[in-house]
Amino acid sequence: MKHSVYLTPMPVRIWHWLNAFGIVTLIITGLQIRFPEYINVFGTYKAAIRLHDTAGIVVSISYVLWLVYYLFVAGTLAKLYVPTTEDIRHGLFRQAFFYFFNYFVGRDNPHHSTPESKFNPLQKVTYLMIMVVLLPLVIFSGFMLMYIAPLRELILMVGGIKTLVGVHFLLACCFCAFLFIHIYLATLGHTPLEHFKQMWDGWEEEEVQEKLASGDSSGTTH
Amino acid sequence: MRVLIALLAMAVLLSTGIRTTQAATTVSDRCLACHGSNKIVESGGERLHIDPVRYAVTTHSFIGCTSCHDSVSSRHPNEDLRPSRARCKECHGPIQAEYSKSLHGSKAICNDCHNPHEVKPAIAVSGYDINAKCAKCHDVQKTVRTHAKWLPQADLHIEALPCITCHTGSENYVITMSIENRKPGSPRGDFKLAAYDELARLLPEGTDVQRLVDNDGNGLISLQELRQFNHQVRKKEMRLWGMMTPEVVTHTYQILNNRWDCSFCHASGPKAMQTSYVAFPDKSGGYTRLPVEKGAVLDILYGTPDFYMLGTTRSTALNVIGGLIVACGLMFPIGHGTFRFLTRKNRKEHRS
Repeated sequence: MKHSVYLTPMPVRIWHWLNAFGIVTLIITGLQIRFPEYINVFGTYKAAIRLHDTAGIVVSISYVLWLVYYLFVAGTLAKLYVPTTEDIRHGLFRQAFFYFFNYFVGRDNPHHSTPESKFNPLQKVTYLMIMVVLLPLVIFSGFMLMYIAPLRELILMVGGIKTLVGVHFLLACCFCAFLFIHIYLATLGHTPLEHFKQMWDGWEEEEVQEKLASGDSSGTTH
Repeated sequence: MRVLIALLAMAVLLSTGIRTTQAATTVSDRCLACHGSNKIVESGGERLHIDPVRYAVTTHSFIGCTSCHDSVSSRHPNEDLRPSRARCKECHGPIQAEYSKSLHGSKAICNDCHNPHEVKPAIAVSGYDINAKCAKCHDVQKTVRTHAKWLPQADLHIEALPCITCHTGSENYVITMSIENRKPGSPRGDFKLAAYDELARLLPEGTDVQRLVDNDGNGLISLQELRQFNHQVRKKEMRLWGMMTPEVVTHTYQILNNRWDCSFCHASGPKAMQTSYVAFPDKSGGYTRLPVEKGAVLDILYGTPDFYMLGTTRSTALNVIGGLIVACGLMFPIGHGTFRFLTRKNRKEHRS
């Protein structure tokens, strides 16, 4: 039988799509900014710069809203994103083993998403790294690059403008790589579009075996 | 026979030229005995003082004082006659004609920007000094504000470019790097152009300041020398600051249409970043520039850590690393997706 779980509240969904749109815009404009003689999507170089700056501000604001929501409104940041000892000792390997072996032989996903435990151990580690390390770093480096003249001293402290640009570029490449993996993994739901639908309306539909519908969740399939 | 005549003619011309220069120098020496001395300043003639060191390196010093001030007689300064002054256009006619047609033509005369007793070729003047001349009339803050209406990071552009990089008829530009240091007396400890004396103090007496970067003294700065310099100077509160300077200077001050388009500079590609120089201050207040190894500006980090121009100074090595990161991200969907497709029956069987 099938049943639906309300996994993603509206503020998180709005943040997610705003962030997604912003990151994709940043990647495309960033490509034009770095390789202008090969890529011209937005007409002029200045248009690409303006759009990149605007998208950067949108992503920064949405990040702050995400942080405020999870820290102070929902108060579930640590619970949802910080991996437990069990996650690190066994969960990471179990989840990776599922993706790289068990999935292909048709075995069940060891993690079952609930509003209290939305992410599997691999997701927790990845999202924590992205939201707590990579995104703040890319925002911070981008902010410095938007105001080079006034922030000259700060830029010199981090090793000069070339170091800063290099870090910003490599972080952007990490986001680009993450995007490919993230979108692909989103197709591994009950149906290929299930997770996309869930991120749109908040509800995830899942198939539950008869015997588990009464309360035992250990055998729930995705 | 013709060759012999030609050689003889050249010898005569050369000796005449040398004699003329020597004569000019002798006359100028007599002028500078008074006008180059501080005594003339002390006696209230500051306007008449000429810095002999700065004057010596000008092209004008070769023709001598009396070439322009030709009414000076042997009775000077006891005669009751103000010495004549040549007009710039008498020698620089084409430039004057070009300048008079420009927007500046009716606003400023040659001397407002060029002191004839200190004038140097454009490549011997730092970008800062060029902009300082513009700033005599054009307030920097106001200029930043007017440019900011259309130019992103206008403050940065105006800081990193001599005005004439855009406001000129010069088609091409090069990267000229200058050594800057923090001035102890400056309230914010900002980086400013290092003076000759400040750099000379860092080297054993008598050593050319160019040896600060050009270690082997071969007149060409290699990427290795540039890296070494940049590694060392961080601790000494110094840095290399790059500016885009035009190769040819005109007096038209027009903005070429392509300068409105950011891609003229930013999409000019790494090929446009091949030529660069380091400009060293000299005793006369001018600069002597040494060529830098081709492509050094594109070095990943330490070649020119504080010079970066979006779109053009990108490092190939960094592009490769970035490309590999993105490729790794692509490998997962491709690899996993392929196995997923090949094993689709397993999952169907398991579900049924």
